This record gives sequence, C-alpha cells and structure tokens, in this order.
Amino acid sequence: MKAMELNQSQFQAQLQQDKPLLVEFWAPWCGYCRRIGPAYEQVAQQYGQDLEVCKINIDDEPALADREGIEVVPTLVLYQQGKAAGDLVAPTSKAAIDAFLQDHLPKKEGK
Amino acid sequence: MDRIYDLIILGGGPGGYSAALYGARSGMDVLLLEKLSAGGQMGLSAQIDNYPGFPEGIDGFSLGQQMKEGAERFGAQTLLAEATAVSLDGPVKEIQTSEGTFRARTVILATGATPRLLGLAEEEALTGRGVNYCAACDGMFYKGKTVAVVGGGNSAVGDALLLSRVAEKVILIHRRDKLRASPVYEKALAEAKNLTILWDTTVSRLLHDQRLTGLELKNVKTGETSQLACDGVFVSIGRAPASELFRDQVATDQVGYLQADETTRTNLPGVFAVGDVRTKPLRQVVTAVADGAVAVYYAEEYLAEHQ
Repeated sequence: MKAMELNQSQFQAQLQQDKPLLVEFWAPWCGYCRRIGPAYEQVAQQYGQDLEVCKINIDDEPALADREGIEVVPTLVLYQQGKAAGDLVAPTSKAAIDAFLQDHLPKKEGK
Repeated sequence: MDRIYDLIILGGGPGGYSAALYGARSGMDVLLLEKLSAGGQMGLSAQIDNYPGFPEGIDGFSLGQQMKEGAERFGAQTLLAEATAVSLDGPVKEIQTSEGTFRARTVILATGATPRLLGLAEEEALTGRGVNYCAACDGMFYKGKTVAVVGGGNSAVGDALLLSRVAEKVILIHRRDKLRASPVYEKALAEAKNLTILWDTTVSRLLHDQRLTGLELKNVKTGETSQLACDGVFVSIGRAPASELFRDQVATDQVGYLQADETTRTNLPGVFAVGDVRTKPLRQVVTAVADGAVAVYYAEEYLAEHQ
C-alpha cells in the first residue's frame, strides 16, 4: 500500500473514519521530505492494516496546513477520532517513526 | 536469527553502498542496515558536481538511490533499521537493531559524520531551507544574497571567504572576541569588503516562514539580543563522527573518528571503517566510495584466512 496523497475534502472524509490517520505534511521543495520518503512508504506498507497512511502537499493545501498549525515540513501528525493525537517533526530514522506510532497508537490486545 | 551473513554494513551512504556493491558482486552474502534512506549526508545536497561521471551534476538523493539500486542488482539487501548495540569482538559479530539482531563474520562501519548543529529549535527541519552546513556544496545557491556564517575556526573563515566571492554580503558570527582561525586568513579577511564580523555573538533563534528569513542574535557580553535578516546561514562549528556505538570497542582518535589507515582495517579483526567516520584527510563522496571497495578487498582476505 502506498501513502495516499490527500486534498482538503479527502482529508475531512478520512477524519470521519474509525481507523487512525497518519499524515505527512510535505512540500516538493523540501529536501528532507524526500529523504524520509522511503521510510514513510515502508510505514504505509507495514501499518496499512491498522492505520491510514497519507500525505498532504502544503503548497497545494496552504489553508489546511495553516489550520493544522504546520510550521515546518516534514511534520507527521497522527489523528485519532478526528483529532490530532500527536506530531513528529523531521524524524531522523524509520525507528523514530515506529517509536512515535507505538507510543500513540492504541495498544493491541495481548501485546 | 541463526543466519550468519558474510558481511553486514552499517550505514547506507556512498561508502556503505560501494562496499555493498563490491561485496555482493564478489559473491558475498551482504546485508546493509540504514536508518533512514540511501545517500547519508549527501542526501540533502541539492547538487553534486564533484563526483565523476555526471557531466551535469546530480542531486545527492538521486545519487544515493542509484548507488543502492546498483548494489541490489547483485543481491545486496537493505534493511531500514537503526543499530542500538554492537558486539564486534570474536569471529561472529552481532548487531542489535530496531528490527532485531543480526550476525555476520565481517562488519563494515560506514556510519558517517554529521555536522555539529547549533542545537536550536527547528534547525533540522530548516536544513536545506536556509540552514546549511557545507559552503562548498551549497554556497552557489546564495549568489547575490546575504548569508551568515557561524563559527571562528579555519573552516568557518574559509567558508566565509568562499561565500564572499559569491554572495552580496557575508556576516561572520563568532562567540569570542578573537578568531581561532590561522593568521594566514587575516589578509584575505581584511580584503573581503563585503564581509563583516560580529564578535562575542551567538545565534539564539532561527527566524523563518517556509524558509529561513533571519537570525536572532545574542551578545554574550551584554546579553543584548538583536535580529539579523539573511537568506541563509552556514553553520561551521565542526563535525562529529557517528561513532558513539563503537567507541568502547573500536580504537578512535581524540575526536572519535574510527582509527583505520588506507586498508580501512580497524583494531578489531574482521571490522572495517569506511567513509567519513574513518580517520582520513579528505571526506568526500569520491573518497568514501574508494574506501568501500578497499574494505571489501580486505574483508574477503580476512574471510579466506578464517574459513
């Protein structure tokens, strides 16, 4: 599963879903966004069952990025029950993204 | 877990992937562990013009991806994992990572070096968007603009002089009242009319919208703060080898670079150091790539001797 690119209305629709939503706010001119790309795509594949993994280009959706308080890219925001539950700015490793998700996602039974 | 690789490489920069290519191509069973993405430090360079074979230059991220693909064509495997502990002594080396424990008979350490950061909020996120660490790499982007350089040693002064030939205005920011740089720079500094030095000054905040717009400065003697508008800042306060994990096992110099000569052999049999993490005179993509090839040559020799 690839990280899906969302626009404003798709984002609103995703927020209504039960499944938690992870969004990477990114921009085409951001070199570091490119560097986390391979790790982020792997997160999309690995967590796809429990998590909707998406991206929002802040150049295409400036008002949305502004409303979500995005000041720098890349910023990863995890939404649960329609609300931001945590964010991670410019992670330095895939392990950092994994740790962020493990801290914030609901724990599975038996784990 | 029972599998023992011929070679595990830590780090997916140019040194690591050159080793992966040479290792896999000579039939070794190779696993490369990288924490984020191929390319390492060069992954943030917008343009690399001093790696031969690319007449128009190439961006560092694409070069990293191509090096990865080249090594994978011969069977080298990449795993996105962060090493958390290593045991490099003995015939079977063990690497604990965020993705589990891996074992190998030889290990190549290619973890690179990182520029020392100012340690300010949002510094990493603004890297490549006004915050830079390599004047020789990124200076050309500031043609006709205003840039600041932070530091007072030879590399900071060298960077400031290089930038003064490109940028319209250069401000060198130094926390002391005297440069640490060698006196040979004095004449050049005096002659660079577009270069000014702010003494006893540190950077206390990075001002930005989508990219850097200026710096908040603090005078360390008076405590006074001020703002400086600029298009970019070059941080030149030294580099730090990414060698923390190995320092209790592999010999290093005083700064922490892994001690190895041109053979790339460390003090530990079967353990090699390549690229920027190794003690060497010139840290460039092209010298890292050469190290990778040399390390595999000696790793093969080691494996043959320890069948």
